Amino acid sequence: MNKDTHHTPDIDSDLSGQYVLGTLSPEERSAFELELAGSVELQKAVNQWQAHFLSVTDKLEPITAPQPLSARIERTLDELEKQPSNTTTSASTPNAFLSFWQNLALWRGISAACLVVAVVMGIKLQTFEPTLSEPTYIAVLVAPEDKTPGWVIQTSHTNQMQLVPLGAVEIPKGKALQFWTKADGWDAPVSLGLVKKGETLNIDINKLPALTENQLFELTIEDETGSSTGKPTGPITSIGRGVSI
Amino acid sequence: MPLSTAFDYESVLQQCAKGERRALMELYEQEATRLLTVVMRILKNRPLAEDVVHDAFIKIWKNAGTYNRELGSARGWVYTLTRNLALNALKYSQREVLAEPDFLLDLCNDRVLASACQPDDITDLADDPLHQASLQTCLEHLAPERKLCVLHAYVDGYTQQEIAKLLDKPLGTVKSWIKRSLSALKECLQ
Repeated sequence: MNKDTHHTPDIDSDLSGQYVLGTLSPEERSAFELELAGSVELQKAVNQWQAHFLSVTDKLEPITAPQPLSARIERTLDELEKQPSNTTTSASTPNAFLSFWQNLALWRGISAACLVVAVVMGIKLQTFEPTLSEPTYIAVLVAPEDKTPGWVIQTSHTNQMQLVPLGAVEIPKGKALQFWTKADGWDAPVSLGLVKKGETLNIDINKLPALTENQLFELTIEDETGSSTGKPTGPITSIGRGVSI
Repeated sequence: MPLSTAFDYESVLQQCAKGERRALMELYEQEATRLLTVVMRILKNRPLAEDVVHDAFIKIWKNAGTYNRELGSARGWVYTLTRNLALNALKYSQREVLAEPDFLLDLCNDRVLASACQPDDITDLADDPLHQASLQTCLEHLAPERKLCVLHAYVDGYTQQEIAKLLDKPLGTVKSWIKRSLSALKECLQ
């Protein structure tokens, strides 16, 4: 029906199939997403392709989502509600359907996340020789919003865990960053201490229960003296999970 | 379990847009397992897959207002958002690339994994007007190798380069198979 226009809907809708399959190159993908943002027709085509292909993945053997996942989602929502006037998260009022497809922060965050590996490798190399033996356990903490990496945790055979900032850290006046961890099966997160600006936090891991795969680490903004309840109460600034290496 | 028929995804997204948290939790109950399954298949890393599903629900919550019925399948919308997060997460996660032709082809063979509404064979399916435009039927028309390319891309999230290597075919061949397969599917689905 749009045959007479200058647009080429046929080519676009072919691209929508490839977009759903995930076979566009990063450049094609970005270009397509820009076009997608402004086109109801294309968004419809993408959703339609997706719905069709879902009939295939619906046949995969289901993996049950663990209960704590819904609790974690609820907690993040709580935090989002608590910070309606937060200036660091721009677009708190999503602006029609453009925001999803044109979320520059997201794309930037993702490319930043690509740096994580490089950064981690860099830190590993730097820290190997002088202070630490080879890291045995590592976690990258990223901003929950846009996945910007903020901190790296590493432990080594020296029984020290280090929390290393990857960049400048902004802590609001009168507040502090509190470092928490929680392994599967624990009732509540345990505080690992307060973080000072620009400092690497060292923790003696002998004082902690054994680190486990998938253990959650997070930094929250709390009062200067730490959370009064002994549990995280403020917004999460960085979050990640640990892996043994 | 009925996957998508009775659940009103469109309304749930609209309720999320109004800030009704119960709606997001309903969506979680309905879809979290499926979403995790899809993401896990792509990432092959449980903790990362759970993180992506968490992020997906937060994003669904934040972006629900950008969805409206004019955009078609709300379930498709939810999966597009989630799969994009999973595909992006692949960039900083290594995973094994495996050829599992039988497994993949079985996914689109109606006789293997029985679900609620399953006619006995493909011809019945094609004759049934309700099923005439199902992707499953249309996939049957593709040659197995081409079908595999499409399934590796969609189900496994493999890149065209990975698929070419896996199937030991030139990249150009894989690219053109995928393009042509999509055109054939599109035609068949209409």
